[in-house]
Amino acid sequence: MIELHAIRKAFNQGRHNEYWALDGIDLSIEANKVTALRGPSGSGKTTLLTIVGCLARPTEGRVRLQGEDISGLPERFLTEIRRKRFGFIFQQFNLIKGLSALDNIILPAYPTGRPRRQVLDRAEELLAGLKLGHRRHAKVEWLSGGEQQRVAICRALINDPELLIADEPTANLDTHLAGEFMGILESLADQGRTILLTSHDPLVVESDVVQRVIDMRDGRLIHER
Amino acid sequence: MGVIFQPAIIALLLASALCVLALAASAPFALEVIRRWDITSGSERQLQLERRTYLFSTLLTFVLALQLAAVLLFVFNAEKMSGMFVGAMCAVGTLNVNAFGFPALNAKIAVFFLAAMWLAINHVDSRARDYPLVRIKYALLLALAPLLAASAWTELQYFLGLKADVITSCCGSLFSAGSPTLAAEASALPPLPAMWLFYGSLGAAIALAAWHGHGRGRNGRSAYALAAASALGFGATIAGILSFVSLYVYEHPNHHCPFCILKPEYGYQGYWLYVPLFGATAAGLAVGAIQPFARIESLREIVPGFSRHLAAIAANGFALTAAIATAMIWQSRLILIEH
Repeated sequence: MIELHAIRKAFNQGRHNEYWALDGIDLSIEANKVTALRGPSGSGKTTLLTIVGCLARPTEGRVRLQGEDISGLPERFLTEIRRKRFGFIFQQFNLIKGLSALDNIILPAYPTGRPRRQVLDRAEELLAGLKLGHRRHAKVEWLSGGEQQRVAICRALINDPELLIADEPTANLDTHLAGEFMGILESLADQGRTILLTSHDPLVVESDVVQRVIDMRDGRLIHER
Repeated sequence: MGVIFQPAIIALLLASALCVLALAASAPFALEVIRRWDITSGSERQLQLERRTYLFSTLLTFVLALQLAAVLLFVFNAEKMSGMFVGAMCAVGTLNVNAFGFPALNAKIAVFFLAAMWLAINHVDSRARDYPLVRIKYALLLALAPLLAASAWTELQYFLGLKADVITSCCGSLFSAGSPTLAAEASALPPLPAMWLFYGSLGAAIALAAWHGHGRGRNGRSAYALAAASALGFGATIAGILSFVSLYVYEHPNHHCPFCILKPEYGYQGYWLYVPLFGATAAGLAVGAIQPFARIESLREIVPGFSRHLAAIAANGFALTAAIATAMIWQSRLILIEH
């Protein structure tokens, strides 16, 4: 589904503090599978995730999504791809304070121009699926960590993306909530979604739900399970 | 020297300087794109070129769009300053103060149409996902650069050479039948053939634009025919304005000036004629400019759609020009042609 070819990514290029976060990544991410990137802090997991998700551009190399080169596309096309084909779950959830759970969820659907009724129905369906219907009108800052994460998952799914990207999804959750997240992940995997996540939480990477674990260190792929 | 410190002149010089600077800054990048662009490569240099082309094309779009507006300001300023020169009755007097006035105007008009065509090419290129015209558009930009620089230089010479104590000539001498200029020859055209030429060429341009639009913008021949008809329509309309439209506006059988109609005494009527005419001509020429790229795979849907849109602008602009000229004739008390 996604192919990365000779990806390198530098920060502060040309300055005294130049840093190569990724150094020659060749990787193929298969459709309908859960893939995890594992590695210590600074290994390049999140940088790789942002490049796959079109949130950042590589310094060198190409990213192909179903055969189409997306690494060189002008921003207007990338926005479209991010909006329709990717769903993002961030480590800090990145929900908008002051808005209700429902408003946060439907926000990414506004630019698509879909009818509001249709979007609301989809949001209700997602909320019900993650047992969060009773919290729909609560402002997100009033929600617990687990509830906030479920809102973030609903938001990532509102445009029905093919690929779900999650950065350290259990980093801010206790064991019980992390277990709940794995249950959600399993149901999403059963629906046939392609999921790419980063984690160094054994609960995630050693789970049966994750079909492929790729180890990273110093911006390179070092091992694969 | 004091003449140059007019807000409009400062704005025009700044716009030209900005354009030349932007082109000078873009030229090395344009050369690099022409020489080293390779979409199949994932090299650092190629990715940098891809990122920068977006920046440079945005910058160039801005400065060239500014040049489109500059024509209007240039003419408006020439007209407005006519009171400052002895002998000047309208923009013609101001443009005749030194030898650079009319060349500066002509260069600005040429830049207007060429910039419009480049902007159209840039527009279709930026709608495609694979930068299909990136080399061509930067090569065209390099070809356009000397003209833009020459236009800026001529304009600067013109403004620097504006001397308030110069006695200039008015439009009567330039557009009278005996004067040895092309404008005078057009002015000397008898009204009836000039009317046939005026309405015939505008009608042909409108019909071709409609034909091109009807073919959903996919017909190559109609695109080039529309571009040719637009250029012809522009020339014929200017000749028509010189020959008979101006006479009806001034209600005077010998006043052929195409600039006096821009004066407040005549209700700025000239702008109503020239703005749609220039817009329509630019749109018509742009249809021809983008047509050679219609067969490129990633532009197969983009060029016909945009071409149809441009054809609609051309048809409406030419129709508006004809309608406004007709309304001017209709309202006039001058009898030029006896029934």
